[in-house]
Amino acid sequence: MRDYIRLTGVLLIICAIAAVLLGLTNGVTFEKIAEQIEKANNEARQIVLPTADEFTKLDEAALAAIKANPDNGIVRDIYEAKAGGTLVGYTVMVAPKGYSGAVEMIVGVDVNGIVQGVKIGTNTETPGLGKNAEKPAFSQQYKNKTWDNLISVIKNGTPKENEIVAIAGSTITSKGVTAGVNRAMAVAKELSGK
Amino acid sequence: MSLYKDFSNGIIKENPVLRLVLGTCPTLAVTTAVFNGIGMGLAATAVLVGSNLIISLIKKIVPNEVRIPVYVIVIASFVTIVQMLIKAYSPELDKQLGIFIPLIVVNCIIFARAESFAAKNPPLNSIMDGIGMGLGFTLALVIISTFREVLGAGTFFGMQIFGAGFKPALVMILPPGGFLVFGLTIAAVNKLTASKKA
Repeated sequence: MRDYIRLTGVLLIICAIAAVLLGLTNGVTFEKIAEQIEKANNEARQIVLPTADEFTKLDEAALAAIKANPDNGIVRDIYEAKAGGTLVGYTVMVAPKGYSGAVEMIVGVDVNGIVQGVKIGTNTETPGLGKNAEKPAFSQQYKNKTWDNLISVIKNGTPKENEIVAIAGSTITSKGVTAGVNRAMAVAKELSGK
Repeated sequence: MSLYKDFSNGIIKENPVLRLVLGTCPTLAVTTAVFNGIGMGLAATAVLVGSNLIISLIKKIVPNEVRIPVYVIVIASFVTIVQMLIKAYSPELDKQLGIFIPLIVVNCIIFARAESFAAKNPPLNSIMDGIGMGLGFTLALVIISTFREVLGAGTFFGMQIFGAGFKPALVMILPPGGFLVFGLTIAAVNKLTASKKA
């Protein structure tokens, strides 16, 4: 009987110490991590919509209205991009399903419906394959696509105006990212009222 | 056993990947590029040294019956703390190594060394064992990923090494190629070390 108390006691103490250490570290780093993520996201927004100089978060009510549409389930957040006070476009963060889990990405669409840039963020795609979606060579393909003509994926050959070429060996990732861009364009179109 | 012997043990004689066949899952997963191999190897080395040290220090107060759950807690907490610190203070490093860190928690090399070495040896030896095993792991990853990256993508460390006419054998960076290179590397190491003895 005493043995059980001793064993669980030691385990309890070690767990308690680990929990305290984790709690303390989390307390110290929590805000800092949120800050870093915010900073990285801001930089990403600037990259996908270079013409803008100011980004303001879309207000809660408008975001909730967008999210009410079940097709928009992958939309994470939306920012209005302004240059000198006038609206120039939207940056939409979407997290479509890739080959292994969600692929977070920010898409910049201007008010005329042209994709200005796509930046792939946190993802767990296969290194060397799906992860290559992060490389500009792939995401550059989305530039100048328009919301009037949804994008589709081809495996090889020369892409037409509304097509992109999949990463070799990673068709699922490529299709996921494309679905994300298409969704972001649809959302931007809806917001701009065009 | 001398410190040097504990250190060198993990590099060839008991190389965790090529000899003990541990950590096969991360090995196959990250060896698609040399950079990933080095990143995973070094991150695992850091955790291995830390967890070996802690486990060696607390080995006397941990009852034998509950040692496995204790190792799990120590390793997982250690990795999580390191991950939070890196995320908060070194976002650049996090960008490079971030994806490897959660993989380390389930890396069986770390459990194996905790159980078979750190729990029985003094702290200093355990640190040396951690460094040796970590470098052995890194070395194995670099060897395997070099073959896979050069043949499968035509690059080394991200640099193009063949002319534009080179058609990479994509299978090498896909999982089957991983198993092929893994098996052949083990065979080659066995052959080399066997002929040395004879």
